[in-house]
Amino acid sequence: MKDIFAEFYNKVIGFFRRTEAQEESSKDVARNRLRVVLMQDRTNLTPELMEKMRKELIELLSKYVEMDKEALELNLEQEGDQMALMLSIPVLRAKEESEIAAEEEDKEASSAETDEAENESDNDEEDSEENSDAREETDSDDDSDDEDEFENDACDCGKCEKCNPTNKKNK
Amino acid sequence: MSGRVIVITSGKGGVGKTTTNANIGTALARAGKKVVMIDTDLGLRNLDLLLGLENRIVYTIVDVVEGRCKLKQALVKDKKNPNLCLLAAAQTRDKTAVTEEQLKDICEELKKDYDFILVDCPAGIEQGFQNAVAGASEAIVVTTPEMSAVRDADRIIGLLEAREEIKSYKLLLNRVRPNLIKSNDMMSVDDVVEILSADLIGIIPEDTGIITSTNKGEPIVNDEKSLAGKAYNNVARRIMGEDVPFLNLEEETSVMAKVKKFFSGLVGKEK
Repeated sequence: MKDIFAEFYNKVIGFFRRTEAQEESSKDVARNRLRVVLMQDRTNLTPELMEKMRKELIELLSKYVEMDKEALELNLEQEGDQMALMLSIPVLRAKEESEIAAEEEDKEASSAETDEAENESDNDEEDSEENSDAREETDSDDDSDDEDEFENDACDCGKCEKCNPTNKKNK
Repeated sequence: MSGRVIVITSGKGGVGKTTTNANIGTALARAGKKVVMIDTDLGLRNLDLLLGLENRIVYTIVDVVEGRCKLKQALVKDKKNPNLCLLAAAQTRDKTAVTEEQLKDICEELKKDYDFILVDCPAGIEQGFQNAVAGASEAIVVTTPEMSAVRDADRIIGLLEAREEIKSYKLLLNRVRPNLIKSNDMMSVDDVVEILSADLIGIIPEDTGIITSTNKGEPIVNDEKSLAGKAYNNVARRIMGEDVPFLNLEEETSVMAKVKKFFSGLVGKEK
C-alpha cells in the first residue's frame, strides 16, 4: 500500500518537474541559437576551426601536463561587448621537469625523420579520438602513440595562435 | 543650412525599411522640417508607392547623374506636405547606374537646402548598400524580433562600424508583437537590444493599419489614432533631439485599452 502511494507521489512530482524543465520557450531557443551563430559570425570562427584549435591545444598542453583529453573544453563566450575563448583543462597531473626535458630531446632527435609522416599521423589521431569510446580496450596502446605524436606536432614558439589563444579575441 | 543625412538600412529585406523611411520623413516634415527622401533601390523602387507619388515621377536619380536634368527638377513634391519631397530611383536600371561618389555629391548638394536627407537603402550588403551609405553620416538599422533579421542587422552594424563617415547608428525595432512577447514566443525588445548592443531609437508595433496605409499611398503617421503612427512620430521627435519615452506597447494593446478607446471614440462622435 505504502509503495503504491510512494509511486503515485513520485509520478505526480515527476510530472511537474518535467514540465518545468521542458519549459524552454521558443523565444529562449531563438535567443540562444542567435547568440551562438552571432559569435561565429563576428569572429569568423567556424566549428571546424574550433575543433582544429582544440586538438592543437591538447597537443601543446600535454607536453606539460597529463590531462583528461576528452573533457577538455574550448568555448567561445561573450562577456559584454567582448568575445573570449574559454579553455577548461581537467588536469590529472603535472609532468616532472626531467620528463619534459627527456621528451623534448626525443623530439629533436626524431623531428627530422617524422616530418613527412606527421600529416598521416594527424589523420589517425582524429579517427582515434572520435572512436575512442568504441575502442576502450586498445586505449593504452593508442595513448602511447598519441604522446609521440603530440611531441612531434607541438608548437613551442609561444607567439602563434596555437600557443596564445587570447590573441584571437575580437569583436 | 547644413542638413543631416541619415541612411535607413537593414540587411534583410521585408523588415520595413521603406515604410520606416516614408513615415519618419513624413513625420519630420509635419513637424516643420524640410525633408528630402532618396530612394537608392535602383530597379526595385517602392518608396514612391508608399507616398502615393508614383504618377508624378518625371525624372529619377539616374537622370540627375547622367545629366538629363538638374537635381531640383528631379525632386517630386509630396501631395500634402510642401516640406517633403522625393528623389526617386530608376526602375529600369541596376545598382551600377549610380556610384558612391555621385551619391555623395547629391547628398552634399541637398544638405544646403534641406534639414534632413533620408536615404532608403536596398536590401543586401552589396554595391547598392555601399552606395546608399556613402553620403550619410548617421544610420538607422531597422530590424524585427526574428532571428534572421537580427543576424542580418548584426552584420550591417559591423559594416557600418567599419565606415568612418558613419558617426552614429541607432536601432529601430519594427513589427513588435506584444502578445507574442508576453507568451514567450517572440524575443523581447530587451533581448534584441542586448544581443546587438546598440542604442534604440524606436519600437514600432505590428499594425494592420500599415497594409491599408500602403494600399492608399498614405503614410500611417498621418493617422492620429494609429499606434504604429504614434510610435513613428516619436521616432521623428527623438531624431530631432527630444527625449520621448518609449510607448508601453503591452498596455496600449491590452483588451482594456481597446475597450477604453472604443468608448472614447463613441463619446467623441456624439459631440
